[in-house]
This record gives sequence, C-alpha cells and structure tokens, in this order.
Amino acid sequence: MTNIKEIKNDLLKDSYYEIDHSSGFKIFVYPKENFSSSYAVFGTKYGSIDTCFKVEGNEKFTEVPEGIAHFLEHKLFESEELDAFARYAKTGASANAYTSFDKTCYLFSCTGNFEDSLEILLDFVSNPYFTEQTVQKEQGIIGQEIRMYEDEPGWESLFVLLRAMYHEHPVRIDIAGTVESISHITADLLYECYNTFYNPANMALAVAGNVTVEQVLKIADKMLKPKESKKIERKFCKEPATVVEKTAMKNLSVAMPIFAIGFKEDVKTPLRTLKESMESNILLDIIAGPTSSLYEEMLNDNLINTTFDTEYFEGYGYSAHIFNGESTDYEKVRERINQEITKLMETGVDEESFQRIKKKHYGSLIMDFDSIDSISNSLISAYFNGEGIFDQLKLLESITVEDVNRRLKEAFNIENSSMSVIKNKEGK
Amino acid sequence: MNNIAYTEISKSVRILCVNTDKFKTNCIKVDFYLPIGEYFPAQNVLASYMGHTSKKYSTVKAFNSKVEGMYDACFDTTVSTVGEKVRIRFSMEILDDKFSIDGNSISQEAVDFLVEILSNPNATENGFDEELTTREIRFTLENIEAMKNDKRAYAVSRLRQLMCKDEPYGIDNEKLEEGVRNLDGKQLLDAYKDMLKTATVVITACGSVDSEMLKDKFEAFAEKIENRNPAELETVFVTKADEIRYFKEEMDVNQAKLVIGLRAGMKDSNDDYFAYRVMTDIFGGGPYSRLFLNVREKMSLCYYCGARLIREKGIILIQSGIEEENYEKALSEILNQLDIMKKGEFTDEDFNSSIIALCDAFKGVEDSPVAVCNFYSSQEFDEKIISGEEFAKKIGAVTREQVIECAKRVSVDTVYLLKGEENND
Repeated sequence: MTNIKEIKNDLLKDSYYEIDHSSGFKIFVYPKENFSSSYAVFGTKYGSIDTCFKVEGNEKFTEVPEGIAHFLEHKLFESEELDAFARYAKTGASANAYTSFDKTCYLFSCTGNFEDSLEILLDFVSNPYFTEQTVQKEQGIIGQEIRMYEDEPGWESLFVLLRAMYHEHPVRIDIAGTVESISHITADLLYECYNTFYNPANMALAVAGNVTVEQVLKIADKMLKPKESKKIERKFCKEPATVVEKTAMKNLSVAMPIFAIGFKEDVKTPLRTLKESMESNILLDIIAGPTSSLYEEMLNDNLINTTFDTEYFEGYGYSAHIFNGESTDYEKVRERINQEITKLMETGVDEESFQRIKKKHYGSLIMDFDSIDSISNSLISAYFNGEGIFDQLKLLESITVEDVNRRLKEAFNIENSSMSVIKNKEGK
Repeated sequence: MNNIAYTEISKSVRILCVNTDKFKTNCIKVDFYLPIGEYFPAQNVLASYMGHTSKKYSTVKAFNSKVEGMYDACFDTTVSTVGEKVRIRFSMEILDDKFSIDGNSISQEAVDFLVEILSNPNATENGFDEELTTREIRFTLENIEAMKNDKRAYAVSRLRQLMCKDEPYGIDNEKLEEGVRNLDGKQLLDAYKDMLKTATVVITACGSVDSEMLKDKFEAFAEKIENRNPAELETVFVTKADEIRYFKEEMDVNQAKLVIGLRAGMKDSNDDYFAYRVMTDIFGGGPYSRLFLNVREKMSLCYYCGARLIREKGIILIQSGIEEENYEKALSEILNQLDIMKKGEFTDEDFNSSIIALCDAFKGVEDSPVAVCNFYSSQEFDEKIISGEEFAKKIGAVTREQVIECAKRVSVDTVYLLKGEENND
C-alpha cells in the first residue's frame, strides 16, 4: 500500500508530497511550476563517520576501513554490463554523487527523458556489482582524488581543526580516507556495508522540478522492490568535552596563513534540534557576521580580509561553531573572537542586532526554495534528521533573543576551542 | 518562453530584462565592459572599494547593514576578463517583493541602492579616501595572492600568462600586483571616471523586477554622465600555434597539475561556435567524453581530466591532476585523444551522448534567476540574443563532419606542469 500526504506552505505557496511507498522506501516529490528541469536524489543515511556499526540482533560491532562509504559511492556506478554513466549518456541527464560525514547521495538533473533517467538511478543504486579487479582500478582514481584534496588548504584546514578538537569521534577522519586505508578495501567489505546501509528504512528518494507524483510512482513501482529493513546501531563513542590540542599547524604552500577556529560543544545527545541549529546560525552572524562590529574592527585593524566567514558544523555526535579566514596574526584574531564571546555572555545579545539578523535569515530561507537541487537535497537531510523542509520557516518566527543568549551559554566554552593554521614551511 | 525586454537606453548602455514570476528571487547585474589597459590594476581595487563603502554608507557596518536589511540581499562586486574585455560587475540577488513583510518594494530599494553606490562613491573631488584606498589595496593584493592557495586555478593562470605572453589576455599577476601596490585615491577616482565615461554598460535583470522602473532609474543615471565615449572592445584571436612550448614549474604541491592550452582555430567568438562547443565536449566534457573514459577510467591516471572551450578568446584548456611520474603517459594519451578527434575516429555514440547532454543542459538554463542573467548577459556581444531552447536547437543541428572540421583546426600551443619541489623536505 502506498500512502501519499500533501504538505503545504502558505507563505511560499508551494507544496510537496510525502509518500510512504509500498516497497518501504520514503519518497518526496516537490513539483515546481514552469520549471523545465528536474532534479532527483536517492540517498542513504550512511557517511564517513559510520566506521563502526552493527545490525540489530548481531552481537559484535563491525569496524571497516576509513573512506569506505565514499569508495562504495564510486563503485556503485559500475555494473556487470553498462555502467551508470554510460546509461545516462543515452538520456542526456547530468549525473553525480557525493559522500558527506553522514550520508551518501546519488543524483541527476535533466530536462528530457526524466522517467528513463530515474529508472537508471533506482536501478544502479539497488544493484551492486563489485569484483576485486574493479576495486583495484578505483584505488588509483580515488588515490588521486585524495591527493587533490591534500592540495586544497581550505579543506585541509577543516580537517586539521577537527583532529585538534575531537579525540575519538570519526568526524576527525577524512571523508575519502587515506591512500593507505583504502588499500584495505575489498569487494566483500563493500558488500557488507552495502547490505547494512542500503535498505528502505535507511534511505529516501527526493525529486523536485518539472515532475508529477504519477511520473515518479510509475518508475518507483517498477523499480523499488520490498526489501528487508534493518535497524542499524551506530557506536556513539565517548567523546570528552575537552579538545585534543589548542593549536594545530600544518604546512602547505599558501599565500597567507589560513586559520579555522572551532568551539566544540559538549553534546549530551547525538543530535541537536533544528531550533538549536537555527539559533546557532543566528548567533554566528551576531558574533562575527558582516554587520557585526567585530567584523569591521578586524577588517580595519588588518587582522582579517573579506574571505572571513563562519559556519555551524554539526551532525551525529558532534557540534562546533567555526570561524574561518586568512591572517598573518591569527593569534590576535582568536583573542578578539574570545573577547567578543566573553563580552556577549556578560551583556547578552542586543535586540536590534537580533531582529536584523532574523530578517536576513527569513530572506535566505525563502530564497533557497528557488533551487531544485537545494530543495531535493534538503528534503533528504531534513528527513534523515526527522524534520520537514518547511519547519525552519515556522520555527524562525518563534526564536527569541533569550533563546539565542541561552544557546550562546550552552554551546560556547572558550576552554574547549581549537585553532588550525595552514601556513608555508619555515623560510618560505 | 520568458518575456524578454531589450532596450538600448543610450549609447552603449543596454538593459535586458527577463520577466517571469516563477522565482522567489530576483537578480540584477550591472556590468561595465572596458578594454584591458592601463587602468586594469585600479579597476581591480575600484570594484573592491565600491563593494564595501559609498558616500551614503561609508562604514562596512553601515554598508552591509543596508544590504542585509533588504532580506539578506546577496550583493557582490567582481572584476573578471571576458576575452580581452575587463568586466566590472555589480550584482544583486534579492527576495521577491511578494515576500516583503512591510509591503515595501524590495526590488525598487535594490535598484535605488545600486544607482546610489554607482553614482556616489565614497570620494571627494580630489580622490577616493586614502585610508580606505589603503585597506582596499590590501584586500585586492591578498585576493590576487590567494590564487596560489588554489593550485588548480594557479596552474591555469600561469598557463594563460605563458601562452598569451604577447596578448592582453596573458595577464601577468606580478605586474598587476605592482600596479595595485602603487595606487592612490586620486588614481582610483580617475579609474572610476573612466569607467563611467568609456565602458559599455549592460544591465541584466531576471524575475518580477519592473522593467519600466529599471529603465527609468538607469536612464536617469546614464543621463548624468558627461561626454560618454565608449571604448572599442576587441579581442585578438590567434588561430594557430606554430610549435608546442613546454613549461615546468615547481611549487610545494602534493599532486602535479597539468594544464594544456590549445588554439581552437576560431577567428572570432561566433566562428563555428556551436560545432566547437560539441567538439570540446566529446573530447573532454562530461563522463562520456574521450578524456574521462580513457585517461581516468581506462588508465586510472587521475581523478579529473577535462577540456573546456573559452569562446571569447578561441582557446581550449585541458586540466588534470596527476602523479608527476605519470606526466609523459598522461600527456601522450591526451594528445592521442586529440588526434582521434582530428581523424574523426570517435564513435557515433560519443557524438550522440554529447549532443543529447548539451541540449538537455541548455534547455534547463532558465531555471534559476542567476543562471538566466548569466546566460543572457554572456550573449551581449553575440550576433543575436537567443533563448536556451534556441541554443539547444543550434547544438542539435551540429553534424559529425563539422565537429571533425573544427578538431582539424585545433593546434597545441602550450603544455604546463606544476610539480612538487625537488628535495621536498
């Protein structure tokens, strides 16, 4: 039995359909009037942090090599006959996939032949095919992908920071693993991960754009077969509140030192609520956003340049507020940010700044609904977090300055912060 | 099909307005096109300066608060080159008026803001503010220098400089930095006046922005500029490379970056453009392309290997990240694939995959306000402005023979490798 529920938003004048498909899969369809293209994402709640897990009923936890979720993503495109890219080449769709800390998503966008392309997507993700030879071939390609990231200072700066903040949590490992770790991946291990994480209870399909529910169901009915849903247990590792080190350096050739300062939150439960993440984002804008006094002062004092930005970084078992930028005097930047946070903890956030930032977030939330890729990807992430994509708009109204002040006190502890610095080798 | 209004409001000041109510965002871009010349360093600083301060909104906080107050309008100023034209761009993405909480028109406020900062920079009759000029020079220098952080982009910029050494296109970043370093507020004011007087101005808008309002406000803006005298905008097209030049440079990199510059053989940006677009795509476009299938999939030499056509200059760039020891192997396979293109030995499947993928992509180009603005503004100097649908039709009409003819006109000009340092410790 397939159940369809329409979810509307009066402000946006948009609606989408949440479908419990007879196969056990969750499907979302978000039609966009007058759009020519469609965008589909088929995702599983399985990312780089899932290195230790067990299926309910099993006794022992299984540990797998770092980078295996990403490796699996690459390998799923292959099949015994035509690989997925060769099949998409006949429909004209533009296809891709990505692996993050907590999910793996396969996607395509197209204007024509939507149904054929959706069939390809559902087919190749549902039918794994790995051999030792194809696994070996991929080790060369992914090895070069890892090497490419090693030359990207912004990326390196995030991971140096994560390793400085986290003792145990697997968020500290690189999404693609290392050249060494992926050398231990075998076809059997790939099948084991696939069979654990690629099942209806752990996956969802989201489509937005020039599509109808009927079109999507026609293909879903044909391609998605009922499959045993598995309950997966993730190891929620004991992560101390403290950081590993206050400052971590790495040498790479850069024009100017690149820093990332992270405030680690001592999380008692695996996930933050949606409201808490929204409060965090508002807070970051208040502390050091483009209209904050701190931002202007640091610009005028030659401490930062216009690359400076902030990010709220969170997922299963981790949460941190991060400040990124370029500076020759990064220690001074850290000092200024710490001072500002201490000051705000004492005085509280002022109502005027709060209202201005809230209005900004109202605008950016709505603008996100113009992009069918953003809508589809958000439908998947929101679902994996137990939320709906209209929830933020409703919640924003209810957030008060007291909420933000509370969040500041619970999430920031200067003692539990780290800084990563990427800079040139001495003498360069 | 969208409703497109195109008007020339005065000499070389044009407005292109794509009216549609399908978006929740409106997008407005004001582009000033100038030749690459003596003002180039100053133009780089000018864009940064005008993006952070104006007479009315002089501090960063006041300026950004104004922008943020328009419901998180995304405002940006950039300088880039389009062929051998400099483009100084002021762009805004704003929330559609229908979501305004107080009922005020956000689009009108945004257009007023654009006209205000363009008309009244933070300057006196003697020049731009010296202190702020110093700050903006710092931002600009750090921005140019920061290109070294992105090794792939840095390798491309080095190739461009080496390959087009004797053409304005071959921008020398060191010279640019020197020029920027020596600027003062007076020179910035001169560059600003020159921009208003000599640029070709193109305003592109998409969404529900009232095209009459836009026209009236920019007409008033243009009328105030005295002695407008738009400069000629030309790009030199070198149609053939005499011999292949090889360069290797060292940097502290983990993975070597290979960039190859080809002369496409185009005489101008319209010369067989659609056939060249298809040819470059079969050669190194999507995952169905010759380079992806052979250099990456068959030989496992890299994660990325692709080619793109720079239409406005008639060159093709190939990029790949490889282990240095695989340099000869990768280079020879890339050139082998180019040869296959020239001999017409690519398959019908290669050809069809490319046509269908390109047509599909162009048909969807009008599904975001920013993409709409970019798509139409990129055609400003073409013979005729056409829609995404028409674009796809022209791609679909390209024949196999035309592709082979284009490939035959391609010549390899420069091969550049950025590799790790010897004695890497």
